[in-house]
Amino acid sequence: MKYILRIVSLALLFPLAFNANAQEDTTTTEEEDWSIYDDMDFADEGAKRFANAKISGLSPARLITIGYDYQAAYDLEAAGVINGNESYPAENATINATSGIRVGANIPVLSRNDILIQVGGQYWNLNYAYDDPDALNHPLHKTLSDNGLRTWGLNSTIYKPLNEFSFVLVQVAADMNGDYAIPEFQSMRYNRYSVAALYGKRPSDYKQWALGISRTYRAGELNYVPIFYYNYTSPTSKWGIEALLPARGHVRYSFNRRSILMAGFELEGNSYRIGNQSTILSDPLDELEIRRSEIRARLMYQRQLSGFIWIAAEAGYRISYAYHVDDIPDGKDFTRLFDIVSDAPYTMENTIGNPVYFNISVNLVSP
Amino acid sequence: MNKSLFGILIIAISAFTFSSFTDDAEADRLIGIWEPSHGKAKIKIEKIGSKYYGKIVWLREPTDPETGAPKVDKNNPDESMRSTPLRGYRILKDFEYTDKDEWSEGTIYDPENGSTYNCIIKMSDENTLDIRGYIGIQTLGRTDVWKRLKMPSKKKKK
Repeated sequence: MKYILRIVSLALLFPLAFNANAQEDTTTTEEEDWSIYDDMDFADEGAKRFANAKISGLSPARLITIGYDYQAAYDLEAAGVINGNESYPAENATINATSGIRVGANIPVLSRNDILIQVGGQYWNLNYAYDDPDALNHPLHKTLSDNGLRTWGLNSTIYKPLNEFSFVLVQVAADMNGDYAIPEFQSMRYNRYSVAALYGKRPSDYKQWALGISRTYRAGELNYVPIFYYNYTSPTSKWGIEALLPARGHVRYSFNRRSILMAGFELEGNSYRIGNQSTILSDPLDELEIRRSEIRARLMYQRQLSGFIWIAAEAGYRISYAYHVDDIPDGKDFTRLFDIVSDAPYTMENTIGNPVYFNISVNLVSP
Repeated sequence: MNKSLFGILIIAISAFTFSSFTDDAEADRLIGIWEPSHGKAKIKIEKIGSKYYGKIVWLREPTDPETGAPKVDKNNPDESMRSTPLRGYRILKDFEYTDKDEWSEGTIYDPENGSTYNCIIKMSDENTLDIRGYIGIQTLGRTDVWKRLKMPSKKKKK
């Protein structure tokens, strides 16, 4: 019996003895011949390397963002419009502030070496605080003052590397833009769809570029434009460029990996259906959309607050590219393609001032 | 009676030992040299005690272009770690074999930004790992696919 107990005791104590010798320290101190790892092959002979979606040193991708956008005072001159027997003369009004929250999410749903799919959503709100809302007569001013503008959007990005150095990038987005109330919204037929497709190269960990074409509303109305994607980081990782022209372009300076300053611009725009809550003009001009487009020349500072929570503050000049109004029956959109395919006149060709603006956001950044 | 008890104990110990060996063999499939999708490093996963750790054993660019010296962990939020060489640095820590083809309870460190993430490792086949780093919940994360490496097969001398 004693013999049995000894065996059992040894059997039970052996793992404990082993654990007692376990190395819990997670730093390595032993000398190792690193050169043995220089030449290695994939164990799976069919395995391939693929171009990574990112390069070194990029500003962090935002998984979730919650922000607030504020534009200072400017004037908006709504153009005169005649609709049958109705006539509204041009009217200039001062908007003291245009502001609202901006919330977004962008989640990777499929992440493999040979494909990356992200799905995102966003909500933006624009409130127009007029200097004297009771004195407004023009229907454009009235609806902006009463209802503001908002956007609900869904988007997806598909990154498909073809091999170690080349890739295809496709982005699709659907946006519901207008002065609708929540939860009434507006008909889906007024949704605006954007698509971009690019083919590119990633010659090194410090550079990637691509050329493509997009169907876009960034200039306010529907357009088809060539696009150029370019990301670069200097070998020291201090300087870089992040661009998707003509949509945006920034020079990046990294104080360190937790503190980044960017200078550049973003072209921001979409087509917003107005008159959802009260018809601002009658038939035939009763399906109106604001073609809003603006260039934001800006400085943007991002820094880590704690862990994966980052704060971003940007300030700059909001330069209007367009704020015209088109009548688009049944939401069937058309393109002028910069007057190449159509020179159809706008229903209202408005003039808008250019204020300073700022934006602040808190972001959960991606691994 | 004693003989019967002895027999039962031997069978029980044998079963336990065999089961442990089987579990260990399953779990130890994680051990090896692996290449992340970016191809900039090679990671050696080894077992220390009952847990698994992975350290950088190869860097495509071993020297820092700014200093000309071997790369160090300069982005670490802990200043005292910023002079630690990246080669040899353990970026995978404390993994345990918790389910079939799955190692969890560990963390992964990204020297590019100095962040440490929760991490779960799944072996999709003997030569492929899905390494998912995440923040709090697995939905908020990113999966990287690592491929197993092997020493080159020796060419026969003619």
